[in-house]
Order: sequence, then structure tokens, then C-alpha cells
Amino acid sequence: MTCRPEYVKECKCPDEVMNCIRETLGESLLDIELRERWDGCPRRVLYRDIWVRFERGAYLSLVDRLRTIDFLHFHVMSGNDDGDVVTLNVHCSLFREAGEGHRIGITLSVPIPKNDLSIASLGSRIPGTEFSEREMREMLGIHFEGLVNTNLVFLPEDWDEEIKPWRRDETGPSPENIRELS
Amino acid sequence: MARERNPIQVIYLAERICGICSFSHIVAFVRAVEDAAKIEVPIRAQYIRSLVLELERIHSHILWAGVACYTFGYDSAFNLGMLLREKVMDVLEALTGNRVNYGVGTVGGVRRDLTPKAAAVVREMIAFYRREFETFLDVVTEDPIAKARMRNVGVLSPEDAVTYCALGPTARGSGLRVDLRHTSPYEAYGDLGVKPVVPQDYTGEVYGDVYDRFLVRVMEVIQSLDLLEKIVDGIPEGPITWEPKLPKVLASLKAADGTGWGIIEAPRGDDTHIVKLTKGEDNLTWWKVRAPTYSNAVSWPLMFMNQEIADAPLIINSIDPCISCMERILVSDEKIGRSEIVTKAQMMEKCREKTRRLMGA
Amino acid sequence: MKMTRVLEILPKSLWVFHCNSGSCNGCDIEIVATITPRYDIERFGMKLVGSPRHADALLVTGPVTKYMTDRLRRIYAQVPDPKVVIVVGNCGASGDVFFKSYSLDGPVDNIIPVDVYVHGCPPRPEAIIEGAAKAVLLLEKKREELLKAGASR
Repeated sequence: MTCRPEYVKECKCPDEVMNCIRETLGESLLDIELRERWDGCPRRVLYRDIWVRFERGAYLSLVDRLRTIDFLHFHVMSGNDDGDVVTLNVHCSLFREAGEGHRIGITLSVPIPKNDLSIASLGSRIPGTEFSEREMREMLGIHFEGLVNTNLVFLPEDWDEEIKPWRRDETGPSPENIRELS
Repeated sequence: MARERNPIQVIYLAERICGICSFSHIVAFVRAVEDAAKIEVPIRAQYIRSLVLELERIHSHILWAGVACYTFGYDSAFNLGMLLREKVMDVLEALTGNRVNYGVGTVGGVRRDLTPKAAAVVREMIAFYRREFETFLDVVTEDPIAKARMRNVGVLSPEDAVTYCALGPTARGSGLRVDLRHTSPYEAYGDLGVKPVVPQDYTGEVYGDVYDRFLVRVMEVIQSLDLLEKIVDGIPEGPITWEPKLPKVLASLKAADGTGWGIIEAPRGDDTHIVKLTKGEDNLTWWKVRAPTYSNAVSWPLMFMNQEIADAPLIINSIDPCISCMERILVSDEKIGRSEIVTKAQMMEKCREKTRRLMGA
Repeated sequence: MKMTRVLEILPKSLWVFHCNSGSCNGCDIEIVATITPRYDIERFGMKLVGSPRHADALLVTGPVTKYMTDRLRRIYAQVPDPKVVIVVGNCGASGDVFFKSYSLDGPVDNIIPVDVYVHGCPPRPEAIIEGAAKAVLLLEKKREELLKAGASR
């Protein structure tokens, strides 16, 4: 058996990755930020995150572009109900096998309008996203185009699917659904 | 739940996400808050965090190794492992006052200092494990039956480990050199020079099976001992919190605005917390937690492929799941169109029977 | 078999079925610590069993999530009389930190009657042993009551 697949083609520095994102997104880019953290005794930057916010249309093309750099390792999806839009955050990282201090965390955040709450599924590109997409569907009501299995992950099987626990509008849990306890 | 609590209150909720890797969740959470509020943590606090994280890794890995032995009916090794584990529990108790859920971390630092007395206890523990852990290692890794039960069982190829986003020891067992302590050093790990533990460094080849995952975990215990020694030797003097007065911390968190991401290497893989703070609000706006099992569970179906039911409990255990509700499975055999429910007890019995069969053979 | 015969068979070691109703694992590892060599509750003959039908005591951890409510009731119904219910941990006793949740039905005494509470988050193994000792006494009492009721029938 081979030792490990050669996914890491060449390690890029954060600036190159950011330029690459800017290039791919063009007009769709809303916001981009690089965060660095100094930890340890000789204060060195070994921990970097890039935060990108962009429009929904460029979602798949950006993921595909990043996948040509390295396998886009997927951590988790998070989301929030921001009034008229639901923001979907996809947290991933690049170069997670590339050696000391080379990993770059990337957060793709996409605002999705509530009147058309759908986005493409990443399932065929990154199989590991299945659980997260199912979770986002049950918690926030986002429809993923191409997601086959739409069973509940966390909520009990007799859950009323009209209620989306993370929503803050009328589809969210009403006070009688909440167990106050104290 | 967390939407109606302030960040300091949420720490204690985060701690109770999991009773085994409780401190990992705290550190991931406070790092996310610190990231959102741009707070710098004193170096001594970073070292103490790393210290407790490593202690936690030792107790979690020994617990897992014991439970894995129990799963295939090697009860004496299970009891030996649990006996060894009590030592690190004693040290955690001496250091923090609690056996589980230590309550040590807080936003901007830690709540308990490492006293010279506690440091001596840690050193004594390191010596104890260097002396005693070898026995446990021998009785399991050298045992032909144990090896037969774990070799080539539940194989996850490196390619699948990458595409299904496996984490921590599950990924390292498949030969990937992934370890956030190495590729994204946080806290004091940048100074400690952590190298990912992969089976090819010990046995020369990668199978990606349960045995490899076992090997990775027990070797990480030994690695953690070295790290602990470095931490205790190299810990710098200084304050342990960024701001000792709680109302001041809360006030600055109220003024903060932004999203923070904290990711650390918990015993089972990387633990991700994302937090959003809004200016002028006491409470968290939202908070997302991703415990490592959540990602690792996606790769179960691959490991189950072409395996015996008797091996299922072992495979389930091999990613060290943090869930306790895996009580029954649905077995379906499409060729003869039959399906039956196998309960956990029957499954365990089958698993143990196979060991007896191997012993007889 | 007569009722009295069944009840006379009971004086034996306490067998416990452990049900996790959504706990954080903290209590569960302390229970494991209780049955392993350091605290070794098995020297008193107590042990964890794989089926509620074999158990005398039901040990519940966790604040009871919606998913577990019905299952907990079913498990409780399967434990033969006389039975005691031990709740280990604060969250099973009061809900503790898990207040204001959308997926909670607990605490445990909301669902099934509870006899012994062991507090702590998590309780120390010593406390769990004390709880088990109290459960044995209660079980003995319940058995006698049942015997009396059976004899007078």
C-alpha cells in the first residue's frame, strides 16, 4: 500500500492563496481577511486563517479552484439567521499535511436569501460534507441541490420538520418548545 | 441554549459537551472567543493549557486502549489499562481539584497556576508511566490473538481518509501526517516541536486498520510524556490571565464584534468551535461546535465494507466515538433479501466469541 | 410459580443496567472507574449487565433528550420488580447547565420515578458507591413490601 497520496502539490504562502481567491471570485468577492496568531515563547506566526465572504454564484467555482491547490479538507459548516439572509459558513483548510505551521484555515461564507434558500451540494467533491449538509438542512432549512440522503442527523425521528431550531424568525422554535428548567 | 448566556457562562456548558475531552472543548471555545475579541493570552497560561491538554490526551488514550481490549474480550488488559489510568486522574485531581471537568480554562488565560508542588507530581507521574506503561504495551501489541483481532480489520485507505475528511488518530492510523499540533501549532506547541505519530515510523508500513489506530494511540501516550516533560521544564514565569477581574473581561467581550474560529487537536481529532460576538450584546450571537467523532463517523461505512459482524464493535470503537447510543445495528444481506436487528449484547458476544475461536485454533 | 417464590430468589448481588440519556460521558467514565480495579465495586457482586431484563437497578445519566424520552420509559418498563432507579450526576437530577434547550424533556424524575440521586458533576466514584449502597437498602425494603402484598393476596 502506498504511504500517502500526493495531494499536496506545492505549498503556497497565504498571500498567494488570497490572490488566487481574489482572481477566481472577481466581482463576487464581498470581503476578505487574513488573521494571524502569535503563540509560544519566541512569538512566531504559525497559525493562519483566511475569511472570505462572497456571493452564492461563485461557490462551486471557488471550491473547484481551491481544490486544484490541495485537497480542500472540510471541517464543518456553520450558519446563522441574519434577518433577510441565512449566512452559510463553510470551514475548511488547506495544506494540513504540509509540515510545521503550513496549514491555512479558510472560511467561505455565503449569504443565501431566505426566499430562495438553496445552494449546491459539495457531496460529489468532498464526501465528508454529507453529515454537515444534512445538519444545516434540519437546523436552518437550507436546501442542498444534489444531497441524496435527507434524513435527520441530530433531531429525534418524531421531530416536526417545520421547526428549524437555529432560525430566529417564525420557523424557529417557539417558547413552548424550549425547556426552561429554572 | 448558548444564545442566552454570556461567554464566561458558556465555558461551563462547553466543558460538558464531553466528559472525556472536556478541556479540549474549553480551549477550542476560548480560543474562538479570543480570536473574535482579539485577546492575547500570556505565555505561561498557554503552557498550562498545553499541559492539561496533554494530561487529558493520556487519560483518554489509555481509556480507549482499555476499552478496545475489552471489546474483543481481553478483560485483563482492560483492567490493567484502567488501573494505569487512575494515576493520571490523580495528577489531574492534584492539579485542578477535579477528576473530570476541570474548570481550569477561562477567556484570556487559565484559572489555576502550576505550583512547584504540582510540577513535582507531574514529574513523578512521567517517571511512573515510563516504568509501567511498557507492560501494557507488551501485553497488547505483542499478543498474537490481539494482533489477529486487529490486523486487517476495518481498513481505511489513505485516499479515503483524505476524501472523507478523517481526523486525528483515525487519519494518522491510515498514514497521513496530520496533526494540528504540528501543522497549525497553537498555545505552546510551537515551542515543543510535535511530530505526528504515524504507524509507518514504527512498523515500516501502513495498513490503516484497527491495529494501526491502536498503535498510534499508545505511541501518542509516550509522545505526550515527552511533551509534558518539556512543558514542565520550559514553562516561563509570568501572569496566568490576560485580565484577572471577571467584570472587566465581560465588559471587553461585550464591546467586541466579530466571528472567531478556534481549532485544536483533541484526543480524537480536531475539535472546531466557531463563535460570533456582537457589539453591545452580553450573550453569544451564535456558536457552532464540531466534535471530532462527527467527522470520523462519516468514514464508518467504508470500514465496514466486507467485514464480519463480529468485528463491528471493534471497528466502531476504533475511531473512539464519543457517543453512547450505538446500541444496535441493522444487518441487511441483499443477496438473500433478509434483515435482522442485532442488539449490542449479541454483537459483543459475537465479538468475544471470535477471540475464543482464534484462541482455540 | 407463586409470587412469593419469585421474590425469595432475589436476595443476591445488585445487577445494574446503565442507561445514558444524553449525558456528556463524564458520569459514564466515572461509572467505568467505579467498576475497575481502583474502586472495584464488583467485589460486592455489583455489575453492569447488558439487558434491562436482567437488572435490579436502573442507573440513569444525562438530562434526557427528546430522543431518549420514550426509550427511557421502555427501558424502565422492562426492568422487573422490585426495582430502584439511581440518577448519577447533576444534569439527571435537575438539568444543570442544560437549561433553555429545545431538545430536552428531562430531568429524569420528569419521566420515571427516581429513588436515589447522586449529585456531582460528575460525582466521584466514592459517591456512586454510596448511592449504590443506598439503592440496595431501598431494594430490600421494596422487596419486603412486595412479599407482604403477595402473601396477603
